[in-house]
Amino acid sequence: MTASTRGTLLLDRGVGPLLVLPATLLVVVFLVGPFYYMMYTALTDLSFADASRNGNFVGLDNFRKLMRDDPLFWDSFLLTLRFVVLAVSIEFVLGFALAFLIFRFVARQRLLTTLLLIPMMIAPVAVGLIWRLLLQGDFGMVTYYMRKVGLLSQNAAVLSSPDLVFPAIVAIDVWQWTPFVTLVMLAGLMSLPRSPIEAAMMDGAGPVRVFLDVMLPLLKPIIALVLLLRGIDAFKEFDKVFIMTGGGPGTLTELVSIYAYRVNFRNWDLGYGAAVAFMVYLVVLILCSIFYKAIYWSANRPAPLGGHG
Amino acid sequence: MKTFAGRLIMGGIASVLLQVAQAGAWTLEEAAKPYSGATVRVVGEALPPLEALAKLAPQFEQATGIDVEVEMYEHSEAVNKVQLDLNSRRGRYDVIIQPHRELGKFATNGHLLDLAGFMNDAALRDPTFKPEEQLYEKPWKEISWYDGKMYGFPFTVLNLFMWYRTDLLSDPKEMEGFKAKYGYDLAPAQNWDQYRDIAEWFYRPDQGLYGTALQAKRHEALWYEWLNFLYSFGGDVLDVKSGSECGPVIVNSPQAVAALDYYKSLLAYSPPDSLNYFWDDVMALMQQGKVAELIMWNDATYAVAVDETASTVVGKVGFDITPQGEGGKVGQIEGWSYLVPTYSKNQQAAFLFMQWMMGYDRQLEQHLNGGATGRPDVYAAAEVQKLPYSNASMAAHEAGRPKATLPQSSEMTDILVRELSSSLTGEKSSKAALDTAATEISKLLGSCAPMSYPAL
Repeated sequence: MTASTRGTLLLDRGVGPLLVLPATLLVVVFLVGPFYYMMYTALTDLSFADASRNGNFVGLDNFRKLMRDDPLFWDSFLLTLRFVVLAVSIEFVLGFALAFLIFRFVARQRLLTTLLLIPMMIAPVAVGLIWRLLLQGDFGMVTYYMRKVGLLSQNAAVLSSPDLVFPAIVAIDVWQWTPFVTLVMLAGLMSLPRSPIEAAMMDGAGPVRVFLDVMLPLLKPIIALVLLLRGIDAFKEFDKVFIMTGGGPGTLTELVSIYAYRVNFRNWDLGYGAAVAFMVYLVVLILCSIFYKAIYWSANRPAPLGGHG
Repeated sequence: MKTFAGRLIMGGIASVLLQVAQAGAWTLEEAAKPYSGATVRVVGEALPPLEALAKLAPQFEQATGIDVEVEMYEHSEAVNKVQLDLNSRRGRYDVIIQPHRELGKFATNGHLLDLAGFMNDAALRDPTFKPEEQLYEKPWKEISWYDGKMYGFPFTVLNLFMWYRTDLLSDPKEMEGFKAKYGYDLAPAQNWDQYRDIAEWFYRPDQGLYGTALQAKRHEALWYEWLNFLYSFGGDVLDVKSGSECGPVIVNSPQAVAALDYYKSLLAYSPPDSLNYFWDDVMALMQQGKVAELIMWNDATYAVAVDETASTVVGKVGFDITPQGEGGKVGQIEGWSYLVPTYSKNQQAAFLFMQWMMGYDRQLEQHLNGGATGRPDVYAAAEVQKLPYSNASMAAHEAGRPKATLPQSSEMTDILVRELSSSLTGEKSSKAALDTAATEISKLLGSCAPMSYPAL
């Protein structure tokens, strides 16, 4: 009996599912379990601060409070949406443009793409610390040059200015994540099939037409992927902003993740905090599915990558 | 009868002698014998006082055979780690060094050991350790006691007071100009009007000098700083006598609104990035000689007024208690305490270590290395008296006001910080911000905390 037939026999005897067991267990223990626990916690009044609230079942009270009686949550939620829309759209436009330029005009892409990776490789906490220092109002290098060229007045500072602080956190996110968009779009562009483009050119289409009618539809799945990944990531943004501003001044940069952090780890109001987290999860899920479907089904049929659209 | 009385007297003398003998006989080595080989794990904030403790600990280890392991983390990390450890009831830590705002939460949840038992245990208690005589009573009761029970001893007793640049304030040219403009002599501010005049006079951003520096970031630092203004203006957060008491909310009183209006007015003489500055930033500015006066922590004094490797203004900084307002000369008081979790498996050894650390020699050593002792006799030591900030710190200890240590106090702080910060950006007026804070705090605390001043 050869090794391969022995293997087949084992599989025939039902060993297959056993091999999946470790991975399934890991998923259940580390993902599914905690998620259900969070859902359960959201239905209790568990608090680490108040001894009388030790996890009594309160039904949907937390959700009722969240929907009707918590303007701070909704403010932070809307702010987060603004952050996501602004940051991701700028990142996408810049990233795509950069990818296109590199694709068209740069022969040796390796060094350039390596350099592009740098902001992405830095841990978000470090990005927060670096930018907090760069934008520091008295010793910050960026502040110094902005004042020097007249972009910032002598008695203003970016992170203390109510008008500038939100654009600043968007800009820093753009700085960090545009390269990611560039990289993925570049990969997409490079994997495009030559024949439909050449066919279009033979039919007399100009570069703009080729781009709009041939390349863009072919790139749709990649675009959807990039926007989805960036959208989810931006929605969860926490580290950079928390380190730079702590959600302030006032509530001008209090993203929903910072709000959830405060409820959970400052006030230790874990029951309500779980409801907040669940709500965020739910909204992200809904937004993602709507968005995903919109991208895929907008043109009747999906255009498979590398297909002959 | 005579013999009976005689016996009684003899018996009395004998028992006193025995007690004296026992007292004389108490040694750390003896007391620690049953716990030799144990490991006491200490956790706290990574700052010079804890580093000093870690340097002293080997002496204790040598004398007792008890190992001491010290874990150091950044401020909020040190607090969160402990909170999680306590809730998991693992008992990883034997001595937790925690800020006073956490005390009520820990105590009411049954996480902390009441130390009365060990204090009455002759085998553990060093008879020469008399905290009621040896510590500043007010700060000790404020930061280490809750609801009449003693849970620990002060690790650091912290307060804020006024720092000013002596070289600037005594410069004849400045004095002349100041008098011509304001009509009185330039000297360290005694009241808030003078404080603002001085800030305005020295505000010269084009020369890299600011009148003052506020810690106005959305961060606990803002709350701590503003409380000094609040108390001094005659206001308070709750109308109560002690930190563990719940009572009417008065944080939107006219005095509180005046305190916030005044605080806001100082922004004009503070660095442009003040809304993003907390203690580290203003300390750096002070070290670089960019600020004329500010309200700042006693545990930052060493790095600014003494440490020549870090500061450009050594010998040029004076210290005094916070200026006076309607509420008199008062200040907020804060501190970190040594506490023992109920889940610790080495409680006796932990107590012995804390008791040993509270001894005069260790306290002196720690204080001189950037600590902030709770012992007046350490402040009285000649080497400590030489430090330029000792008197201001002692005065501030005496003038300290209690603040809420209720289980909800971290949430109260969070609410206030958010509203203060919103008011400073101009999103809200002082009155509107404090009204919101008062409404939320009253709702949080429930029926024990009605609002004394209705929100408009």
